[in-house]
Amino acid sequence: MTTAKSDEAVEEQAAPVTPSDRRERDRMRRRLARRRGGGWWPYAFLAPWFVGLFGLTVYPMLASLYLSFTDFDLLTPARWVGVDNYDKMFTEDPVFWDSVHATLLYVVVSVPLKLALALGVAMLLNRDLRGIGLYRAAFYLPSLLGGAVAVAIVWRQVFGGDGLFNDFLAWFGIEGQDWISSPDTAIYTLILLAVWQFGTPMVIFLAGLKQLPKDVYEAAAIDGVTPVTRFFRITLPLLTPIVFFNVVLQIIDAFKTFTPAFVISNGSGGPLNSTMLYSLYLYKKGFTDLQMGYASALAWVLFLVIAGFTAVNFIAGRYWVHYDD
Amino acid sequence: MGHQISRRTLFRSASGIAAAGALGTSLSACSGGTGAGSTNSDLTMIWWGSDDRHAAYKKVLAAFRKKNPKIKIRPTYSGYDGYFDKFNTNIAGGSAPDLLQMDTALVAQYARKGVLAPIDSYVGKSLDLTGFSKTLLAAGTVDGKLYGVPSGIGVNQLTVNRTGLEKLGLELPDREWTWADLKKIGTDVHKKSGGKIYGVDDGGGSTLQCFEVFARENGETFFTEDGKKLGFTPDTLQAWWEYWAEMRKVNASPPPAITSAAHNDLTKNAVVIGKALFTFDSGVYGAGGSITDAQLDFLPTPQGDFSGAREGNFVNGGVLLSATKASKKVADSVKIMSYFAQDATAIKDMQLLRGIPPTEKARGLIASGLTETDKLNMANADYVAQRVGRASDALAAPAPPPQGADQIWDLLFQSNLAVAFGKKSIKAQLGAFFDQSAGILEG
Repeated sequence: MTTAKSDEAVEEQAAPVTPSDRRERDRMRRRLARRRGGGWWPYAFLAPWFVGLFGLTVYPMLASLYLSFTDFDLLTPARWVGVDNYDKMFTEDPVFWDSVHATLLYVVVSVPLKLALALGVAMLLNRDLRGIGLYRAAFYLPSLLGGAVAVAIVWRQVFGGDGLFNDFLAWFGIEGQDWISSPDTAIYTLILLAVWQFGTPMVIFLAGLKQLPKDVYEAAAIDGVTPVTRFFRITLPLLTPIVFFNVVLQIIDAFKTFTPAFVISNGSGGPLNSTMLYSLYLYKKGFTDLQMGYASALAWVLFLVIAGFTAVNFIAGRYWVHYDD
Repeated sequence: MGHQISRRTLFRSASGIAAAGALGTSLSACSGGTGAGSTNSDLTMIWWGSDDRHAAYKKVLAAFRKKNPKIKIRPTYSGYDGYFDKFNTNIAGGSAPDLLQMDTALVAQYARKGVLAPIDSYVGKSLDLTGFSKTLLAAGTVDGKLYGVPSGIGVNQLTVNRTGLEKLGLELPDREWTWADLKKIGTDVHKKSGGKIYGVDDGGGSTLQCFEVFARENGETFFTEDGKKLGFTPDTLQAWWEYWAEMRKVNASPPPAITSAAHNDLTKNAVVIGKALFTFDSGVYGAGGSITDAQLDFLPTPQGDFSGAREGNFVNGGVLLSATKASKKVADSVKIMSYFAQDATAIKDMQLLRGIPPTEKARGLIASGLTETDKLNMANADYVAQRVGRASDALAAPAPPPQGADQIWDLLFQSNLAVAFGKKSIKAQLGAFFDQSAGILEG
């Protein structure tokens, strides 16, 4: 951004502007505006978008901000309670802290694993093999299915006490347990499910790898650089903007995960709140416990936390993201 | 590299836009809806249940429509999961159904919030409640007004896999049994099955069917009459949890992973998966239609032995039919309620799918056509109802539970699980339970 700004500055300095020039330019602009049609009708075309923006995003957001200061229960009119909801959340709601714990664990473990796997597979798939398109599709498939309720249900069966995973362990003489109903392991089945859906960042990585300049690699090959060094010294640095993009998006996505936690725990967030991801708790509060005001407050805290994480990412990114210009 | 837009700007702005978009949706996903009310003139009706219950409801409604061609009914039905979530959302969105099957556990909450229509003024006119006992109607009565017609008698009972019991050479316990008897037979099941089967699913966190009966034996209730506090003491709950800790220790009850898996999931119930022979979950049979092939039998919740031992069992109202206040068709809804309560074919079609029929007359109507399991079910319910009626020291049936009750029941379940998994000591969990319950009841 800084470079862009200074470029403009240079341009303006280079062309000193006199008052008559300015008048001429204004006249020109007005004429152009008239010729382009101006008026209201471009806005008419944009209207559906505006309706969507204000009706489905801006208004609900403002409404939820207002509701977060009320005791709205969906059924009776909302009553203003000030910051009570926020106060209660931090001081006397142990489940809130359980959900924060579960969510942070989920984000911190699943995102790096998922991205590492996505990058690894993207590198494997970045070759000219026969039928490579088929492989790519095969690896991308889980992401298409991933958000679906059906997959979460299958997951529940696979990691249940008498599920496939324990059958698999039995081949090696290991006696499994019910992974989903033990508070120590349940969250890791969710993490595994998230990691398995690495397709989207993988496709983005693949696109990034395709863009990398070939001449750099040719030069490195001539110098006899080993593959490991090549990866850490060339590929990764050149890819940092894409890594950054994926990190930001995946963190946001992970914070908002809802469906698998809801399905796998039957909406309970159990055992012992170990899979009570934040969005699930928010949903429970709003729609099951009829505390929509409290749920709105939870939503705003989530918004601020995600915004915070994203801001930190952008600031930290200055130190490790390399652009080639 | 000759790009018009530098990669830096491209990725910067792409990341920024994507981040902003992703953030925005997280917020707008969670705000009150303002959906328009339904303009459809059909009477909308919702219920939850098993496939058998859905079929029976549809059959009865079809017969009703033949007699009342002017009333058009549009039914929607599902399992219990999400039923009330959807109902809440519909109400907030102004598209509440006209008539619904209501949970006795939630009727007070919805009545007090002004969601349900009081129907007292129809009683004796279009609503015929002849033969309904006062105790039964109490299940739909909140603050002196009637908000729902009970579908039948519900009692607390254990469902028993009798086939499994016979295979192990064990006898069905007598109906006058105690908590100690339950422990004894639970241990026997585990021994005789060579450690493969536990006796009874863990009841330490089971509320309605289980702990409430225990508290009532001690002369305590789950909630106080006004619903503002818990009606039992920490000592009572401690004795309860200690009993179940002992049950797990002697393998009369399964380890916590099995209990935890069955939470909200009937298909994982310990009796259904063959890991226990006794269960407190009435849904294994009560929702209509059996979920196992075994011959089931029924026993009242045990009591006595290590408590004050007054009669702890009680009778409640199965499910209810209620009309919503926002509905313009309350009069029509009431006609349907009355039809379900009194019409002979409706009663015969429903059988036990909504509980044991509420009146003497209705029970007589279905008696001949029952399956073996239905007969056993009804016999046990009759027995419990009679015993409760005879008891001189029984507390009155509990008042409809207050708002937040379901959160407290869930807390009880989770607390027992925390103890069972060894995450918390009974003492520590007791403190947490009472603190959090107080917080929930204060709102």
